[in-house]
This record gives sequence, structure tokens and C-alpha cells, in this order.
Amino acid sequence: MTEEEVIDAKDLDKDFRYEISEKVGAKSLLKCIQCGVCSSGCTVTEYVDLQPHRVVASCLLGLKDKVLSSTAIWTCSLCHRCTERCPKGVDYSFILALLRNIACKEGNCPEEYRGTIQTIHDNGYVVPYTGGLATNINRRRKRFGLPKLVPPDLKEIDIIMEETGVGNLINKALDDKEDDK
Amino acid sequence: MEYALYLGCTIPLKMPHFEFAFREIAGILDMTFKEIEGASCCPDPVATQSVSIDTWLTIAARNLCLAEKMGLDVMTICSGCFETLKTTKILLEEDPAAKARVNEVLKKIGYEYKGTSEVFHFVQQCSQDEMLEKIKNILMKPLDNINVAVHYGCHLIRPSKILRFDHPERPESMDKIIEALGGKSVAFAGKLECCGFCARLQEEIGFKLVEDKMTELKEMKEDVDVMVGVCPACCGQYDRKERLISRKTGKELDIPILYLPELMAIAFGVEPDKLGLTNRSVRPYKLLEKLNI
Repeated sequence: MTEEEVIDAKDLDKDFRYEISEKVGAKSLLKCIQCGVCSSGCTVTEYVDLQPHRVVASCLLGLKDKVLSSTAIWTCSLCHRCTERCPKGVDYSFILALLRNIACKEGNCPEEYRGTIQTIHDNGYVVPYTGGLATNINRRRKRFGLPKLVPPDLKEIDIIMEETGVGNLINKALDDKEDDK
Repeated sequence: MEYALYLGCTIPLKMPHFEFAFREIAGILDMTFKEIEGASCCPDPVATQSVSIDTWLTIAARNLCLAEKMGLDVMTICSGCFETLKTTKILLEEDPAAKARVNEVLKKIGYEYKGTSEVFHFVQQCSQDEMLEKIKNILMKPLDNINVAVHYGCHLIRPSKILRFDHPERPESMDKIIEALGGKSVAFAGKLECCGFCARLQEEIGFKLVEDKMTELKEMKEDVDVMVGVCPACCGQYDRKERLISRKTGKELDIPILYLPELMAIAFGVEPDKLGLTNRSVRPYKLLEKLNI
């Protein structure tokens, strides 16, 4: 574990800590005292290339590239034990979500997550609900005597996604085909 | 008290039997609802939040607006929905700038988020003292001699500064419900461990977490008859992976996983045939036998 790595101070991104801490929910980053409680209780601690407290330290030091290229930011199981136990109130799960946001903005969005956004965009739900799939779902619901689903107006979801900056991740080819009909 | 029922999407689209069980017990316990029309995915706290917190908060706020228009508090039946909607409510309350940003977008589709509706998980209502009394009084098939492993799941209780319900490391709400049903909630080391579903980019994590928990339950002195959860992600994760692990490792892991309302419905005398109990890899035949059903 004692690998030595020398990084020149000029290569640090000194504003990285503020880029994170100015965002809603992540202000707590600056309070970290590096006690390591987050890492000791982490569900996925044996799977990460950077322990939670080291992710935070790296953010504070300005090691932006190191943090964003780590697999640790994608490995979290969102159990929130780190956030729960932090004696300084650092919201690590939220900071991690923010780091994922930054990575996605820089073009490194995992295909599986992009696919989920696409599914929600196209169906309003996280489960495909069109054509034959919708017929099957409705039939199953009917068998249990459940009320008819009233799905959302998909245009509203589309506008929200566009306005909140994820429009570039969505493949709208399907919509265009619909319009051509 | 009446609530706006927020179903989410995994339960109504993929697990309608869970929704059926919930509606059955809600009817029996006189919980009343109005359906929310036009609700979307909460949206899911893993992918959507990871890609864009702003998108996550805004779509969630839109869903909350629908309940606000009805003038009702929201009742969720999935822990993922509970986490998303409750976090949105608290964050937007604590950060006026974020609320203003969300509303700027919502204005374009004719909505305004005010923050007037509270968000609840059904476990909160079912574990209140008067509800527990009610449960005891209407019990038809008490869970005598039934050992239940309770799985709280992460997003029902943590982070407590946001979800503000039960103890984050020593919760008791679900245990109280099991006891009211006449069953025994067994103590075990892995009780509060995560199911690993949300770490789905690396599936081996889920396999390891499921194997650890189910192996512990299987090796306990007392026979564990059933495990219950209150989140479709957790329930699906254990049910799917338990069988796969059995096959791979030769361990006999065969504890059925029920959504808590399913077990409640059984205890309330709802006919098992109606509940769709066969819709899972480990079917609860032994449990029903032990209950003489």
C-alpha cells in the first residue's frame, strides 16, 4: 500500500474542492478531518481502488483527474453508512453523486446509466412501457384487478431533461420516426 | 387520513403482485388513498442521480407537484421512491437556490413546486402504535412459530438526517410489525447489510452480499422460515441471486423472500392463490405448510 507518487503542485486543480462544495448537498466536503470512519464501514470497501476518505482527500487536494478516473466513484452501493456515521456531517454519498455528474458531463457516462435515462425519457418509467410490452403489463395488472395506469406526459419529461442538461445523452431517433408517421 | 398513493414504476410494471398485496392490506387496515395520475418514475436514485442531480431533483419535484395539487401527503410503497422523493423535499427545503432552479424549469411545463406535501413510506404508518393494535386485532392467521428475517434495506432508514424515520443502525419499525403479526423477528449479524442492487455496475458485489446474508440465515440454530423486505429492488435481488448462488456453490439456499405486505396479507387471511406467491424463484410452500394454509 506504500506506493510513492510524486505530483507537482502546479498540476493540482486548486478550485476543484470549491467546484464540488458550492453544489447543493455537497457543502460538507470542506469539513472532512480524514478520520476514516467512512472507509471502515463501507459496504464495498474491498472492491474500490480508492477508499472513501481518500476520495475526499483527493478532492480537497485538487487531484481532479485521479478522482474522476477512479473506479471508486462508480462502485458505491449507496448504502449511506458513510454519510450516517461521519462525525463531521460530510455527506459522502451525495459528494460521490456529484463526482459522477462531473464525470458524465465530461463524457464518461456508463452506458447502463445512459440507458436508464433513455428508458425514462421514452416511457416515463424505468421499465419499457410501449406497444406489446405495455399490453402485457396491462394484462397482468388486470389479472390482479389493479387500476389502469395513467402514464406521465412524455413531453414534460423531455423538456425537464433538456433543460437540466442531459438532452445530449438521449437518442431521439425513435421520436422522430413517430413524428414522420 | 387520506394519502396520494405514489406507486413508482418497478412495482406496478414488474411486480403487480406486490401492489396487489399492498392494496389488500391497506384496505383491511382502512388506509385510504387517491391515485396520482400522470406520475413518472420517481426517478431512480442510482442512474438518474448519478448522471444529473438537477434532472433527478426536477423530475422528482414534478411528481411531488402532482400530490400538492391534490392537497395530500405522499405515500410510497418502494424504498427507492421514498429516498428520491423525501430527499428532494428536504434538499429543496434547505436550499432555496436549488428550489428556485427547479422551479425555473418546472415553470416551462406549467408546474410550481411549493413543498407542501409530506412524503412517507408505508412502513411508517404501519408501525405506529394504534396501527400495531389494529393489526393484532384483525389477525386471522397469526404467524405462530414463524421465524422471520427482517431486511430493512438502506433507503428506508439512511441517511437519517434526510429520511428522519427510525434508528439508522438499530431500527425497530419492521420488527414491531412482525411481532404484531405473531411472528418472531430473528436477530442476526447481517441484518442491516445492503443487498448490493445499487452497486449493479459490478455484479459480483451483489452476489457476495446476498451469499453472505443468506448463508448466515441458513446456518443459524433456529430455522428461518422467510425473509421480508419493503423495497422491490432488495426483494428481487435476493430472490434472483439466492437460487443462482445455490446452483453455483452447492449451498442449499432456499429461504423465500416476501414483500412485507405479502406476509401481512397471508396473516390477515387473504387467500394465497390470489397473491401470486409463485411469481418468484424460491416459492414459499414450506412457510404456508407450517401455517397450515
